[in-house]
Amino acid sequence: MTPDPGIALIVFFILVFVGVLLWKIIKSPFLLQNIKQSKKALVEDILKQLYHVEYSGRTASLNAMAGALKLSDRKIVRLVEDMSSHDLLKLDQDILQLTSSGRDYALKIIRVHRLWEKYLSERTGFDKSEWHDRAEQKEHTLTEEQAEQLYHDLGNPRFDPHGDPIPTEAGEIIETHWKSLSSLSENTVARIVHLEDEPEVIYQQIVAEKLHIGSQVKIIASDNHEVKFFSEGEEYRFSPIVASNISVKELTAQEKYEEDVVRLSSLDPGEKAIILGISSECRGASRRRLLDLGFIAGSSIETEFASPSKEPKAYSIRNTIIALRGDQADLILIKKVNE
Amino acid sequence: MVEIKDKASEIIDLASELRWQVGDDFHDRLTEGIYADAATITERVEQKPDRKISYSFDRALDKILTSGTFGFPIMILVLAVILWITIQGANYPSGALAVLLLDIVYPFLKDISSNLGIYWWIDGLLIDGVYMAVAWVIAVMLPPMAIFFPLFTLLEDFGYLPRVAFNLDSLFKRAGAHGKQALTMSMGWGCNAAGVVATRIIDSPRERLIAIITNNFSLCNGRWPTQILIATIFIGALVPSGLANLTASLSVITIAMLGVFFTFFSSWVLSKTMLKGEVSTFTLELPPYRPPRFWKTIYTSIIDRTLIVLWRAIVFAAPAGAIIWLISNIDVGDVSIANLAISSFDGFGVLLGLNGVILLAYIVAIPANEIVIPTILMLTVSNLAITGVGAGEGVMFELDSSSETAEILKAGGWTVLTGINLMLFSLLHNPCSTTIYTIYQETKSWKWTSVASILPVIMGFVVTFLVAQVWRLIAGV
Repeated sequence: MTPDPGIALIVFFILVFVGVLLWKIIKSPFLLQNIKQSKKALVEDILKQLYHVEYSGRTASLNAMAGALKLSDRKIVRLVEDMSSHDLLKLDQDILQLTSSGRDYALKIIRVHRLWEKYLSERTGFDKSEWHDRAEQKEHTLTEEQAEQLYHDLGNPRFDPHGDPIPTEAGEIIETHWKSLSSLSENTVARIVHLEDEPEVIYQQIVAEKLHIGSQVKIIASDNHEVKFFSEGEEYRFSPIVASNISVKELTAQEKYEEDVVRLSSLDPGEKAIILGISSECRGASRRRLLDLGFIAGSSIETEFASPSKEPKAYSIRNTIIALRGDQADLILIKKVNE
Repeated sequence: MVEIKDKASEIIDLASELRWQVGDDFHDRLTEGIYADAATITERVEQKPDRKISYSFDRALDKILTSGTFGFPIMILVLAVILWITIQGANYPSGALAVLLLDIVYPFLKDISSNLGIYWWIDGLLIDGVYMAVAWVIAVMLPPMAIFFPLFTLLEDFGYLPRVAFNLDSLFKRAGAHGKQALTMSMGWGCNAAGVVATRIIDSPRERLIAIITNNFSLCNGRWPTQILIATIFIGALVPSGLANLTASLSVITIAMLGVFFTFFSSWVLSKTMLKGEVSTFTLELPPYRPPRFWKTIYTSIIDRTLIVLWRAIVFAAPAGAIIWLISNIDVGDVSIANLAISSFDGFGVLLGLNGVILLAYIVAIPANEIVIPTILMLTVSNLAITGVGAGEGVMFELDSSSETAEILKAGGWTVLTGINLMLFSLLHNPCSTTIYTIYQETKSWKWTSVASILPVIMGFVVTFLVAQVWRLIAGV
């Protein structure tokens, strides 16, 4: 009557193993890529890559393109021939060049990509490290009507969450006059406007260091080995390679460098401060919630007490006690008040 | 006409051009400006009463209740006292209700129906089936809920519960959940349906769904009696009689703690997989302490929580009673449907270290966990054709002494393994239909309702299966 426990266990683990294996196969990037890397997706990827290369003032050879997109030489040659016959690009002595219709197409794809990243940042809970990859998939499947609907629903955004401009429907885009953080000299003050999300390793490092778009920075020292700077009361040291993936804009005449700006998380129990604002990295529902509760520039705030495990901390603001977690307090900028 | 059109498109072009320059956050800056202006105006006209004294009292109390040294001990003490008062205090009214509904009203109804000469099957279906199930649910469910919820609501009204969420938040954060889930989880120990309703206090969509789906892992009032009975019969009996009670209690607490573990574990898994893309925010307001409004609290907690949940339970228990009676009394060929089902479930049941009776009982007792033990007893007796116990086919019953219950169960082939696995399965199975219905009401989504219903059963199957195989390998049976 009772089945043999050993056999039952073996059968069970085989079933689990097969189940996991099937799941892995369904979800594997390999299979996904095979499906997604339809000709349309490949064509679009080439156009997009070419646009980025031309935009940064470089030129792309056939070989470099094959390498960047991990395609075989034979495949890329076939695709490029096909694309030039559709007047999307020209091949001029091994140099690839976009035609004007090719550029329009590329901008459409970039528009969808950046709109989708904006959508993910505002309306979903996906972590920012996932936005890029998800948008890479979505940019090939969203129709033009869907993209317009999305643009409308999001309140006609002009910039994606990384700070990149979103091309308009007509294919209009602004030139960005950004500098890289590594190019600034000592004592310059600037504002972070863009964090490059490729390559991923460097982006992850920047994200892990809690550096935010919109933050002001002040360079302390910069040489070939290290860029040292202040931002929101924290000191950062990056290698020039990492720093060059952070784009900044020098402060305009109207913008003032706030010397004393620090993060709410650095306010110890008993200390008081004035709120200067919420970082632009705090988005969507979280941001609206904080605004609703009165975390607005000019409000005074005091740290009351911390929970037994140091997080969350309770702050008194507008006669109420609100508890916030550390990662939220990192995004609220304050100026300490001495009594 | 053409001129106007030109002008218009000129303006539109200019606006579009300017949008690049104002940057991305001009909506926000506008909102913030409005807020800031409103705040300045309020500041000027608002008159505040002097609340210095109560304020410093609040902070002093907060210092104690959220301190590293006293925070957790106070919390555990308060919870233990509430659970103790509930379990102990509910015994007497439960007993009284059982005597009233089962020993006085039930025979009275039977008398009336036999005097009126009602057909036996109408009498059986309505009185033995529907009435019995409803009476059982009321007797077992009402008293603990009527004690637990007011106590809980008093603490809430006083302002203590948000501090609990505050103390425990970092723990829940690691599982991808909200600190307030501590409250809905404890509310689940009273009743899962009420716990699911209570998740309204969590304002973040992702964390709220997590709290809803995992609430079933809180061992509810309807399951405590099952746990205590089975622990007494099978685990208490393993140790010398002096230690029996203590051992049984400890094993029930272990099961409840295992439920907490499964809450955290599945919260973590859900937040990393299915619920990854849901919007997530965190804020927790710590309101000022205030003396609880005693009578208002008693009134609202009895009306809003206890009676609503009880009513839903009755609505679901009534048809369940009818089905239990019907499957025991309708024969296919020579065998009742119940016995047929038992023998077809038995193979799978035994594989899980349970048996067909238990699986069938859990299927027909989906409306209310309270009737699982009476149903198991009735099915066992009728399946083995034991005479002299119980009140007939399809009539649920319970015995006064646990030793008599133990005899019946052991006659049904139960071992210590069956007992342990029943305790595990009682923790890890689908929520009762009242809770399922409430989950649908709260989420308005079939998807999340089915996840919340099916996930625990699968976990229950896997856990009991593994325990059974390992047990058999070690015991060599």
